Amino acid sequence: MTIELAVDWTRCAGHGLCAALLPGTIALDDWGYPVIDAGGAQRERPADLKRAVSVCPALALRVTKR
Amino acid sequence: MTSVLSKHLPSDQMTDIPVGRIGEARLLANLAGADLSAHRETHGQPMPLSRSRLLGYLDAVNLTGRGGASFPFAHKIRALPEEVEPIVVVNAAEGEPASAKDHALLRYSPHLIADGAAVAATAVGARKIIIAVTDRPAGEITARAIAMRPDAASFTVRLLPDTFITGEARALVRALSGGPAVPPGRRTPATEQGVDGIPTLLSNAETFAQLGVLARIGPQQYATSGSHDEPGTTLITATGAVASPGVLEVPYGIDLLTVAAAVGARPSQAVVIGGYHGIWHIPDPSLVLSKRMLGAGAVVFVGDQTCPLAELTRVTEWLAAQSATQCGPCMFGLPALANDVAALSRGSASAEVAARHARLVTGRGACAHPDGAARFVRSALGVLAEEIGVHDRYRDCRRVDRGDLSLTRAAAFVRGQR
Repeated sequence: MTIELAVDWTRCAGHGLCAALLPGTIALDDWGYPVIDAGGAQRERPADLKRAVSVCPALALRVTKR
Repeated sequence: MTSVLSKHLPSDQMTDIPVGRIGEARLLANLAGADLSAHRETHGQPMPLSRSRLLGYLDAVNLTGRGGASFPFAHKIRALPEEVEPIVVVNAAEGEPASAKDHALLRYSPHLIADGAAVAATAVGARKIIIAVTDRPAGEITARAIAMRPDAASFTVRLLPDTFITGEARALVRALSGGPAVPPGRRTPATEQGVDGIPTLLSNAETFAQLGVLARIGPQQYATSGSHDEPGTTLITATGAVASPGVLEVPYGIDLLTVAAAVGARPSQAVVIGGYHGIWHIPDPSLVLSKRMLGAGAVVFVGDQTCPLAELTRVTEWLAAQSATQCGPCMFGLPALANDVAALSRGSASAEVAARHARLVTGRGACAHPDGAARFVRSALGVLAEEIGVHDRYRDCRRVDRGDLSLTRAAAFVRGQR
């Protein structure tokens, strides 16, 4: 099973909390929107992923499992 | 192979779209428009096919969607849940200004589209067919054509906002469900949740016209045109630095030289294939126009007389302006990309800056618009490397933007006369 972080780009407003919580996996681009390292979510602790998802003010982040 | 560019159907209100063919004309075999009996004389009565028979036909010739993504049509049918009655949607929302083939089909052969849609509907057990258009005159011809058909009750013609993004499949589904004509945040396939939440078999107008032909002539006859790997014909729209711009029906496997000769292409420094989400190529005459490369079939010749960086800048700015401005990377990234390209044209930036922004927007949106725009720019940076060097050294190439890459269909088709 592959765990990935997915962004709903229509919701994301570039608050940047996800990048602050998961600095190893999420960076911010020139305009403050998340750039997610492919495969990065695999290395994060599930609790940290859950926290990043839950603090997103725009409800734009989610964890997908495939 | 013969090439004929003869059929002009002028109109008071509509842009004249000249059509022609190289080799056998199938989709454009009859240009009678709404006239059903004239259509039947050429195309006969479509044979209804069972689901399994239709899938057999589709697999045999690998019929793929003609909207740009080249997704196998049979996969969509297989993805429909069997326990729910689906609906069929014909996507004739052709927003790409360098493409006019769906407009041409709607005006000149709407019954062929309807025949194909009816065959698909019967096979998958759908009773409702929606033809979605964005061009009012083409929609009126289509509605007139539908009214003449015995199966008219199955069809609805819907006029949607005439924007570039409307034709994106999920934006179209959303608009047909009463929402705004912009892509939703989640990428749910239409076969799962389509119009009003109902499983929907959606494909491009030409795909259904191809199906109309395939259902009548069968896969063996269908494969007598085209190449071994890519059987059949396809519609391309050839514009730019050409004497006779137009929509051409061509066999797959055709090379660039044959197309260039048919439309009277002038000496060109580049050719853009696949429209403004497509790719810049060096105009190698032996280049084979494959399915994947062609996408929706727009082929634009960039002549020797124009400044290609000015052309690129103008189109990139236009692409940025087509953003639905829902997604940050597209809303900010595409204007940044356009600025990068404009700076290249002035000789005051490096191509690496543009390449970085192009990479940055890719894959980061609700739809593939930023990906397509980035692909367009990145391929141009490669093909125009020498030109970028000239601008870097001299700030200029002493040529102006001749408008070979048109931003309106009307402009694309008056070029021959100007």
